[in-house]
Amino acid sequence: MIIDPVANCPFNSDYSPCGDIVLSSRARLARNLEGFPFVHRSTVPDCKEVSSLVHQICEDDTNVLTLEWVNLDELDSLTTELFVERNLVSSALASATHPRAIAIGPELSRSVMVNEEDHIRIQSIRPGVQLEEVLQDVQELDLRIEEVIAYAFDEQLGFLTACPTNVGTGARFSVMMHLPALRIIKDLPRVQNACEGMSLAIRGYRGEGSKVVADLFQVSNQVTLGYTQEQLCDVLSNDFLPPVIEWERKARKTILELQKETLEDQTFRSLGLLQNARMLKLHEAMQCLGNLRLGICTKVIDDIELKTINQLLIEIHPSHIKWKFGKALSNEEIPSLRSKLIREKLQQ
Amino acid sequence: MTTCDYCDQPAMYHDVRIENGVHTTLNLCQEHATEAGISLGSIDLSIVLNVDTTFSEAQQASSCPDCGMTISQYKELSLLGCPTCYETFAEQLAHVIANVQDNQTQHVGRAPSSASDGLSRHLTVRRLLKKLEEAVTQEQYEEAAVLRDELRKLHEGGKTSDN
Repeated sequence: MIIDPVANCPFNSDYSPCGDIVLSSRARLARNLEGFPFVHRSTVPDCKEVSSLVHQICEDDTNVLTLEWVNLDELDSLTTELFVERNLVSSALASATHPRAIAIGPELSRSVMVNEEDHIRIQSIRPGVQLEEVLQDVQELDLRIEEVIAYAFDEQLGFLTACPTNVGTGARFSVMMHLPALRIIKDLPRVQNACEGMSLAIRGYRGEGSKVVADLFQVSNQVTLGYTQEQLCDVLSNDFLPPVIEWERKARKTILELQKETLEDQTFRSLGLLQNARMLKLHEAMQCLGNLRLGICTKVIDDIELKTINQLLIEIHPSHIKWKFGKALSNEEIPSLRSKLIREKLQQ
Repeated sequence: MTTCDYCDQPAMYHDVRIENGVHTTLNLCQEHATEAGISLGSIDLSIVLNVDTTFSEAQQASSCPDCGMTISQYKELSLLGCPTCYETFAEQLAHVIANVQDNQTQHVGRAPSSASDGLSRHLTVRRLLKKLEEAVTQEQYEEAAVLRDELRKLHEGGKTSDN
């Protein structure tokens, strides 16, 4: 399989609605096959059979969307880790040893994980606020899989999943938000309260159990039962996002008016570090890129594209660095190459 | 993979706190966790997930007829064994589902299309044929006869529904 993670990236697109606040929108559907135990109780032959049944979706060459099938047990560890950094493969799936696979669509934005916690995890990711679009993407794939597979389904509980937290629609919608100004004016509790009121979860950069870095927050629905996929999507898209986007934009304006010097200092201090440092750790680089992102959005700095920062936020992760500079790199060599990549990108 | 906050090694210890709406997290590798005096022992997931541990002994002992899963095993993993587990442990799961799903108990919206009914039957036939083949290979003729009868029933059922 030939992939180029730099060329194939959803963040290369110039179309990114509300991209100043929302980096990406994601939809995921969890599905299982009728007649098979869930993955953690499956035997190797069960996993292989599930895999071969799902594989049929890649054999349909009449479909407009072509999917490439990748057996993860045959894939080198670097590419697997690259997929993890792209959120195309979960860490659990990457480190598992049973037969498992991923079917990937163009631009590495749509994918189907096979034999993860559930037999099938369909997902789509797009830049900016595009929740209705990612919903449509996963629904198309869902129908396509349903043509060749019988799903485990119950009239009362809906689509049956290994964990009861996903039962019902099996749908999880999430957005990655950049909220530096609300953090600066100490107004994040307002976002937290909005989440609680709408049964949404707010987490760090990599979702559950991850740290908050660069003021990036992942917000997703907690409940999957009792509402349609469209209703769950609508809560995030129309009830939650519009006010929070407005709060963050207003907070940015306030900071620009009342604390312009502090904002400029933070922006140029971060730019200076990114342009001159020779060894950058991931956390430090992300924090500086987050500060720079705020500077670009408030027009404190105007000669760097927002898209460059969004791409760097992905490309500075260890496996992406190894992919670019040499697969045999040791972890100790990464910080200096990370700073080299950032310098090159910021000079362009 | 999440890396340690102090080096580029994979993090083994994760601490997430929410105070006044702000998340603070700490990710440490084995070495830095030990340095900080943190023991990386096992954690009782039932405490973290607030799983009700008050199932009776009889409930704890019952197992799913399809996959053999018991409710005790579910409590350890927070994962069910197969779709039939939802039916087997319906009573015990009712409050778990209500708890994690904001008291919602009824699915609404999309259901698999009716085309899947035929697929489901084909899948069952396929699996039974596979089991029959195994039973014949292993000379387990009594089991093979039971499987053959099940296949006949399914075949007749399919004819009826086709008509």
